[in-house]
Amino acid sequence: MIQALPPPPPAVEAPAPERSAATQGELRVAAALTDARVSVDSSFSGASIVLYGAVFNPGDEPTDVVVVVRGPDAPVRLVKKTRNMGVWLNSRPVVFEGAPGFYMTASTRPLGDIADFGDLRRLGVGLDHLRINAPEESRTVTRYGVRDVVISRLGEDYLDWRRAVIRLREGAALYNTDPEGVRFVDRGLFRAEIELPAVAPTGQYFAEVWLFQDGDPVSVSNLTLTVEKVGIERDIFEFAHNRPWTYGILCVLLAAFTGWGASRIFRRE
Amino acid sequence: MDIYLPIAEVSVNWPLLVLLGATVGFVSGLFGIGGGFLMAPILIFLGIPPAVAVASQASHVVASSTSGVISYTSQKAVDYRIGGVMALGGVLGALLGVELFRYLRLLGQADLAVALSYLLFLGAIGTLMLYESLGQILRRIRGEVTPHKDRRRPLWLYGLPLRMRFPRSGLYISAIPPFALGSFAGVLSAIMGVGGGFILVPAMLYVLRMKASVVVGTSLFQIIIVTAMTTILQAGRNQTVDIVLSTILLLGGVVGAQYGARWSGRFRAEELRAVLGLIVLLVGIQMGLELFVRPSDLFGFAPGVAE
Repeated sequence: MIQALPPPPPAVEAPAPERSAATQGELRVAAALTDARVSVDSSFSGASIVLYGAVFNPGDEPTDVVVVVRGPDAPVRLVKKTRNMGVWLNSRPVVFEGAPGFYMTASTRPLGDIADFGDLRRLGVGLDHLRINAPEESRTVTRYGVRDVVISRLGEDYLDWRRAVIRLREGAALYNTDPEGVRFVDRGLFRAEIELPAVAPTGQYFAEVWLFQDGDPVSVSNLTLTVEKVGIERDIFEFAHNRPWTYGILCVLLAAFTGWGASRIFRRE
Repeated sequence: MDIYLPIAEVSVNWPLLVLLGATVGFVSGLFGIGGGFLMAPILIFLGIPPAVAVASQASHVVASSTSGVISYTSQKAVDYRIGGVMALGGVLGALLGVELFRYLRLLGQADLAVALSYLLFLGAIGTLMLYESLGQILRRIRGEVTPHKDRRRPLWLYGLPLRMRFPRSGLYISAIPPFALGSFAGVLSAIMGVGGGFILVPAMLYVLRMKASVVVGTSLFQIIIVTAMTTILQAGRNQTVDIVLSTILLLGGVVGAQYGARWSGRFRAEELRAVLGLIVLLVGIQMGLELFVRPSDLFGFAPGVAE
């Protein structure tokens, strides 16, 4: 379900600590997360994960670091309100694919200053370069048992729709761009923070740490992050989805029992 | 003090939810209603996804109605015979309503259906209640005598087949009108997440002309059956019932309901009806307003994304 990632970068290994000075001829980046696993439990109200890393730069030319974090793919159905005879009504829903459930970029400078449009687009770095689309050809199909779901027939409004997907997710703190999110704490040593809101989807997240020099990507480091429900939250969620009817009956019994219990307790008083 | 709700997938402040449950429970005990029409909009306002709010608070209605029916049963104020006929219709209505709601969600029109039904039904019922009770209060202040009420039932009630005797309600009528009334309340229960008491009680009083003493208890009985059915269906078909949310709500709710019931004796019936009418009307207008006010963002996500 993860959207097509940019072409696989050269594998980057963590530098061996005993590396001698003579082999430090190449420019590269290495990074790690403080937490590769985020547990969603009953007290979960979002999480903040620190990504830290190092740039190995033998020369003097300045470099830029861009951190991209992508959550699991979550297709969305978008509606637009239109006014019909004084009443605001929803249009037919339009399915947009390729929108990750979470997306953030953090960089040392605004992305546009770091690399040109073409490179960013090719690498899929930046909100403007997400491959969010309603598949191009205009056609109506039968989906999920409903006829006449419009897949794409947006014409000139297409960009408005696409921007709305991003704007709504930005509003929910699911999409974020921070042009100053990567900070160098020391020469070659940087950190960035990944802020996951409480509504962040569960699943596998992929983080890419790109190193740019002179507008060209020169190195990348890939990391994964898992967000998962744990403990009772997970048990309830799985129970509700695996045995929905039993779960429903249990909810009703619990409610009826509480009502009965309350009337018993209060009658005695 | 925040708690993460496993099905709603949002984090909420739980003491606030207990307080909300207790407040709505108090109102429901005070007026003898389920209180669903108040709870669902407030939950949505707090950021709970509407589908989860509507489905989860139905079990809160089950709890408060159960404790109501128990106390009315001890006063012999529940007609299980006519209640059973209505509940049968209600189950059918709930089945239809849940499927209808599922279909509307897929079309992206669930918001519209919810807003419209709140505006229409709450608006109409609230206006009628307010008009009737204010008239009664005014007449009492002026010292006038309440005009003689027309106690005749509509004639068509007698022209229908399948007549049944309902001794406790003092009725010998066709089973079709109570069945139809029950089905209608069942559909509303699935779409609006309400018990439907605000429709049932006036209809039982003014259309069926049931004995007033058994109306509230019987409607609560029908509401238990229908909301229980709705909860099971919503859980089974849509997986939108959040047991953590409903448990928090009903813990506050059952306590609030008991205190509300004790307080209700302190007010005159028509004053209570006037206040309730006003609340019902305001909620209806508030929910309907979104149809007419230009939304801050023209775009929105439609729930019911395919997995």
